[in-house]
Amino acid sequence: MIFRAVEDADLIRKACRGDVEAYNLLISRWERRVYNYLLRIVANREDALDLSQDVFLKAYQNLRKLDDPARFAPWLYRIAHNEAYSLFRKRRPEGESEELQPETLEGAATVGGNAVFPVELTLAVSGALRKLTADQRETVVLKIYQGFKFEEIAEIVAAPVSTVKSRLYTALDLLKAELAPVKAPVKARGML
Amino acid sequence: MSCPPFDLRDYYFKDLAENERRLTEVHVKTCAHCREELDRLRGTETALLALPDEEIPQRIGFVSDAVFQPSTFRRGWAALWGSAARLGFVSAAMLSAALVVFSLTRPAPQAAAQVPAVTRVALEAEVSKRVGDAVAKAVAESEARQARRTQELLAASEKRQALETQSMKVRLEEYLEVERKLRTIQFLASNEAGGGNGDAR
Repeated sequence: MIFRAVEDADLIRKACRGDVEAYNLLISRWERRVYNYLLRIVANREDALDLSQDVFLKAYQNLRKLDDPARFAPWLYRIAHNEAYSLFRKRRPEGESEELQPETLEGAATVGGNAVFPVELTLAVSGALRKLTADQRETVVLKIYQGFKFEEIAEIVAAPVSTVKSRLYTALDLLKAELAPVKAPVKARGML
Repeated sequence: MSCPPFDLRDYYFKDLAENERRLTEVHVKTCAHCREELDRLRGTETALLALPDEEIPQRIGFVSDAVFQPSTFRRGWAALWGSAARLGFVSAAMLSAALVVFSLTRPAPQAAAQVPAVTRVALEAEVSKRVGDAVAKAVAESEARQARRTQELLAASEKRQALETQSMKVRLEEYLEVERKLRTIQFLASNEAGGGNGDAR
């Protein structure tokens, strides 16, 4: 992880000097993570892809403003967060909350050919995540799927750490209740 | 939600200080309720992780095209405003350059540059006159001192000579007085001797 960070910093420095190939290599390291982050909060593959491209373009245009290359990840996700919420605002009808009508992500169970997890559990998780508010869902994605620290999440979503924790713990309580009936068969299956 | 003084969920997400973590760890070992709560959290996280990451449908990449590249000036300008250190350095350099230019282009002091030639000659004559006066005055004072000294020495010498003359005169008078007394005595003595011889004849 340290070597990776050092290499990222090196690529960032080269990209700042106009080395597009170095930036393409940097993108190849982060595009999957950023795409999945956006996919889980906007729940639409096409939007997630468009937003990912916009995120990396904006990141390239503003790369010289990044003072500390070691903070690249939170900085990049902050751009992604802004792009996603900008989309929320554009598509939100007057008076409605920042929620999108998500496409059905049932295909997620088979994309990547992961056969370890049963389809019903994947569907249940997708459904449970959709029941969260956008802020709660984003916090769960950043903590559980992307593995950021609370301080980094606070930086990305521009909210205090206490707010981030509150959103996450509330979301986990809801998810726990939603997924409880599904988890039991999984456990039982795992014990066999 | 949890027995220990610290939030069990903070413990689960490793967001406690080291001493708090140790206290909670000790508590969890003896508390079935908290162990169950931790199991539930772990189960929820495991269930969430059942949703796999998707592959990105289309790779993202940029081509190096001069049309889309900012110009060298724009890159330099952006780099300047993007870094406080560069901005500070450039500001200091500009300030230094301004100081150098100012020092080179500053007009010379007027008193030294614009003295008319006539005034300069008059000044030089005045200075020369004052110097001459000062020298003459010093010479006169020196000569006066010398003359005074000479007068004093002459007066002292004359006084000493007069004293010596007076002293010699007194000694001479004393000598003459003694001589006169001796002659008187000799005369009287010879008279007495001549009178006695006449009576006997």
